[in-house]
Amino acid sequence: MLTRLSLRLRVLLFFAALGLGGIAAIVAGLLLAYRRAGVPDLAPAFVQAGLIGGFGVLGLAAAIWYLFDLNMAKPIEGLAGHLRARAHADVAGAVEAHSGRYLGDLAPAASAAALSLSETRNALAEAVARETTRLAAEKARLEALLSDVPVGVLLCSADHQLVFYNSTAVELMGAAASVGPGRVATAGAGPGLDRKLFDYLREGPILHAHARLGGADGNEAASDLICSTQDGRQVLAARMRLLPSDTGPRPGYVLTLRDVTADLALQAQREALLAEMLDKLRRPATNLRTLLEAVDPGAAPAPALLTALQQEAEALSLAVTELARRQDEGGGQGISVSVTRLSDLADGLRARMEGAGQRLEAAPAPYLLRCNGFEIIALLDRLVAGLVGQGAGPAFRLDAVEDGRDILLRLGWTGAPLPLKRLDDWLGDPIDGAALGMTGRSLLAAHHSDIWPETGPESAQALVLPLPAARKEGPRPKPITRAVVYDFDLLGKERNALVADTPLADLTYVVFDTETTGLLPAQGDEIVQIAALRIVNGRRVAGEVFDTLVNPGRSIPAASTEVHGVTEAMVASAPPIAEVGRAFHKFAEGAVLIAHNAPFDMAFLKRHEKGIGAGFDNPVLDTVLLSAVVFGQHETHSLDALCHRLGITIPQEVRHTAIGDTIATAEAFLKMLPMVRARGFETFGQVLTELRRHGRLLKDLN
Amino acid sequence: MADPSSDKHRILVVEDEDNIALALDYLITREGYGHERVANGGEAMARIRSLRPNLVLLDIMLPEVSGYEICQAVRLDPELSDVRILMMTARGSAVERKKGLALGADGFISKPFELKELRSEVRRLLGD
Repeated sequence: MLTRLSLRLRVLLFFAALGLGGIAAIVAGLLLAYRRAGVPDLAPAFVQAGLIGGFGVLGLAAAIWYLFDLNMAKPIEGLAGHLRARAHADVAGAVEAHSGRYLGDLAPAASAAALSLSETRNALAEAVARETTRLAAEKARLEALLSDVPVGVLLCSADHQLVFYNSTAVELMGAAASVGPGRVATAGAGPGLDRKLFDYLREGPILHAHARLGGADGNEAASDLICSTQDGRQVLAARMRLLPSDTGPRPGYVLTLRDVTADLALQAQREALLAEMLDKLRRPATNLRTLLEAVDPGAAPAPALLTALQQEAEALSLAVTELARRQDEGGGQGISVSVTRLSDLADGLRARMEGAGQRLEAAPAPYLLRCNGFEIIALLDRLVAGLVGQGAGPAFRLDAVEDGRDILLRLGWTGAPLPLKRLDDWLGDPIDGAALGMTGRSLLAAHHSDIWPETGPESAQALVLPLPAARKEGPRPKPITRAVVYDFDLLGKERNALVADTPLADLTYVVFDTETTGLLPAQGDEIVQIAALRIVNGRRVAGEVFDTLVNPGRSIPAASTEVHGVTEAMVASAPPIAEVGRAFHKFAEGAVLIAHNAPFDMAFLKRHEKGIGAGFDNPVLDTVLLSAVVFGQHETHSLDALCHRLGITIPQEVRHTAIGDTIATAEAFLKMLPMVRARGFETFGQVLTELRRHGRLLKDLN
Repeated sequence: MADPSSDKHRILVVEDEDNIALALDYLITREGYGHERVANGGEAMARIRSLRPNLVLLDIMLPEVSGYEICQAVRLDPELSDVRILMMTARGSAVERKKGLALGADGFISKPFELKELRSEVRRLLGD
């Protein structure tokens, strides 16, 4: 039972027992001597002797305990903490030996052991690092590949929690998950690992498809479905395929998503046009036929019949002209035709031509074309090869001219005119690298376009190809910052109903920090900045970051600005706490909240629960208390001190910013996690019980 | 069919569809122009060279050789520089029109055409 007490308390109890035992022995000895002496007058002398002896022993015991505690027990506890830090948290360097100078060789020995451990670890780490670098490079290549897939790819566990998503999926589902305008939408919106898929997509069609696939034999079957985002603004065509069953008894699934909102609108538009046109054609056609029946074949038609025939023929011809015009207008909006940058098209063509020893000069023009770039490049390349075979080139020029809704591409050269017959022959050839059976002619037909030669003065020749313009080129979209996000371990994760029974590493955590106008929420201080990140399966999820300024609705004292650098001008256009709080609540849903000195941050949030419209009843872990469990209560538990002990460096420029402190707290937590487990605390509940013992340091929030 | 050489203007109709050719025959005759008809693209070029018409009514979709090719061939032949070409098409899309005019057609009309439109185009091209 005593082993559960801390070393210092046990030492204290030991010395207390020693002192009391000494006093008991003195009292017993004096009592015996007094009885044997049989002289009653000596009683005061014996009592005096007893008092002197008793106080002497007690004082001695207390003094030795104090020295022992100061020079032995405390350094031992400190040394143990340092050793644990080196053993479990991968902290490098020798143990500070000066604090344990009364421990004899223990401190130097511990230091030597720590050094040797660190050396062995370094050698091992080097070997691992080499192999890891190779694997990381491969992994990065695969991730880049997956992030560039033009469809949204999701991988979900059997209970529909997100395990993997790529950047296209973020684009498709990001809008649906955004909570408000302004910075909040970009701060914490978008899908998150280990979040429910149905936070983003409506569940009906997905559950239905999952049930259907679960009943099918084998894992070959895939199911196509149409689903929509939660806000109903986007319609997505999806394909679901179950993962192989060796991943668990209830396999997860892969969901590929494509936005078909525009396709469906286009299809509806076409169907409406078709129905309208059919109606416009049917009536005059039927009328014509009926009128013709009324004409007597043997005689000239009556003038009234002739007029009627003319009217109906006129109506029919108008309808046909109208149909042709409208089909022409809708041209180039085909479903499979994508948008290509003219400069990319020119670059692609130039690269191909230079490979064959020709030159292409292209005037820069900021156009976006509605065409399948790859196939158009292949077609132009084929034509250039044909022209070179006719003696043209090797210098060519690509120009673009705006012509109504089209862009005219002109591929120019100097030489003899190109006979149309030859061009037609080339257009009949299959296109290199395109879909099987696709020729230049069928490609042009798919684009509702054509190509022809033109002859200008001084043997200037050109091939002209009109392509529909998408719109004027805007700034190139930003490169993908969050490629693919995944944690495949989530697939096999057992989900306990009770957080208290869940192993620490299996919990999802949201580490957060706030910057405020002051230290007293009860006296009107408010949050000015809030940052958070997610830890899933013991790893920080890259890209899942919440970071936003908050308008506190009051002034920010200069002294506070000096600490965190947030000025009143910075927060002027920031959203208020009610809006940010809602977004943060969504971001932290279902996770354990972690903060350094959590009661402080929680007090600021809890005051606004009413305005936010949701309560922060998440379980809370405080890294101050965790530090007390790991390093003992006598240590300093400030974030700086904790980071220093754990070998974490906070860059000076981000220290005391919400995101900087959040990252530091998260790293400290991740380093302390194995140390806590080494102390024998496996589940969240066990840690909580231990934390409550340190609760007198700080208020426990659970 | 009227004798093409009987009038000051010679018109050649290159059209494979008999009914359209029949209608054109009536319309052009009514206007008082002499004309001749060729039903396929293969024969058209030889007839243009021998007849030297003032105006060719040229259909685009022809068997063997397309109207575009005939148009290009006429324009590349310096001896035929005074031949005017009026292209006719049933589709009448913007791309067809651009291609026809780029290859050297002097005018472009879409079927079904109105008599008024055809008459004004023919007169314009013949300078009447």
